[in-house]
Amino acid sequence: MEMLVNTVRMVDNDQLKEFSFGDDISLKENLAVCFLNPIDSKKLDITPNMNLKLSNEYGQVILKIEENKNIPVGTILLPVSIWANQITGIVEGQLIFKNIKVHAEVTEEIVLDIKDLLRIIKK
Amino acid sequence: MGGSRVTCTGCSLLCDDIIIRSDGLYIDEVYGACLKGKERFDQVTGKNRILSPLIRKNGDFEKIKLEDALDKSLEIIKNSSRPLLYGFSTVSCQAQLKGIELTKLINGFIDSNSTICQGKVLNASKQTGMTLTTISEIINKTDLLIFWGANVAESIPRLLNKTLFSRGKFRMTGREIKTIIIIDPVKTASFGVMGVRDIALQIEPGKDIELIRILKEECCSPNSIPSKGIAGIDSDDLRRLLIQLTNAENGVIFIGQGVVGSSPSTALLQELLELVQMINAKQQKGRMAVMMVGGHYNMAGFDHVALSMTGKNGNLQFSGNQLIETSDTIISKINNNDFDCSIIVGTDPVSHLPWELSRKLISKPLILIDNKKSATSYVANIIIPSNITGIESGGLAYRLDHVPVELQKIVNPPNNILSDEEILSKLIEGLSSSQRG
Repeated sequence: MEMLVNTVRMVDNDQLKEFSFGDDISLKENLAVCFLNPIDSKKLDITPNMNLKLSNEYGQVILKIEENKNIPVGTILLPVSIWANQITGIVEGQLIFKNIKVHAEVTEEIVLDIKDLLRIIKK
Repeated sequence: MGGSRVTCTGCSLLCDDIIIRSDGLYIDEVYGACLKGKERFDQVTGKNRILSPLIRKNGDFEKIKLEDALDKSLEIIKNSSRPLLYGFSTVSCQAQLKGIELTKLINGFIDSNSTICQGKVLNASKQTGMTLTTISEIINKTDLLIFWGANVAESIPRLLNKTLFSRGKFRMTGREIKTIIIIDPVKTASFGVMGVRDIALQIEPGKDIELIRILKEECCSPNSIPSKGIAGIDSDDLRRLLIQLTNAENGVIFIGQGVVGSSPSTALLQELLELVQMINAKQQKGRMAVMMVGGHYNMAGFDHVALSMTGKNGNLQFSGNQLIETSDTIISKINNNDFDCSIIVGTDPVSHLPWELSRKLISKPLILIDNKKSATSYVANIIIPSNITGIESGGLAYRLDHVPVELQKIVNPPNNILSDEEILSKLIEGLSSSQRG
């Protein structure tokens, strides 16, 4: 399903807080997550323990799913983090963090932790 | 042990009404800070604080002495012909000044986080002009607050307390005469403060420019509003928005990342600034201004320091120890691999930049000056810990309304950790003495 991604700063899903006071587990728990409207969740046929795979021309990322009815249908919110930046890119020389087109699909693949992500980035 | 009033560096609002109790060694109590502010003070004893210089050897970090970390850093810098310096939005203006001095000495390229945030508004304003305002002006005079793509309840938590719920000197009334309008595709936490007279506009994603163009067209004739509305906003709300914009005695538009980060071109920002100028030109009794909502506490500072030193607010390229013209940005420099080492100060580009840029950045030697763990700290070659400005060292910072605020030292840093300014000064000294030698 085609959707739009917005990266945002959230008090409860804040990378600065996690890097200062958390550990690699809490970092992944709170930042490798996406928020979407329950209507989209239903359309995607999401079931418990499934993750969401977002992919576009820039890359792909697998995230844990949380529903939030305040998010407009067709939009996914991602807290600003290294996970979110797996699918951001450069357009006309500028970084784009909002309204990023992605293909969203349910997956059984696991969410990577920060060390795995960095290993992949280094390659 | 008495309480003292200090400035908080938790965000760009730089609240100067925080009361702390400290014996000079530890901060025992903090009063009046928001969640972000409290976290900032807690960072002093944060479990992931970087307390020793580190160097990467065979893939793992080893502790080294500060002198050795500086020597190794100087070695990297001396072997570099195209060094890149980035960050500088969570350090004092004095450290920003030293950063530019160092870049000039080593003929490098320097920029701050502002370049991908509020610096874009400054750049757009070069074409259009810009009417700014201050927090004091808003507290005392403003009757209309518009938050456009800005979720300030989470990004600048006390901004609403200070501006919306305050009672100004020049008004007999407070919140009851203030109207807020929030324009955002997402119903954010900021929507929670809205009352019956306020206007919540859940705009369709990416349609901000369509709304601005209609407002520009109709701003003085609210009788010809499109009957179907625009960008997901119905005609009634559009009419209410126009009436507020054109009748406010003193209004301010807070420009957030929702506007700044949503489009590659500056057209959206330019059209928004033009709308503000248009309203001001046609307003008989009122005034409209803008305020940029940057997150990092001294993001505005780098723009000021760079402007006063070089006449440019960012993208500073030096050659032959002189500033030269360049069309490069931090993005193009990294993307084109036009650098051979980087010095990152007080930021986390590996978390903030698209992974493709991060990959290029970490493929070259990276020196990190910072006080806490980050994604960048996992992959740096050398880490030099700095103390926490505004708590363990003083300095100057520019608030989000571009007002300079003096920061105080409250406690001594652990292990006598140096400030960013002192670390950068030591690098400059090291380079200068080797050049003399």
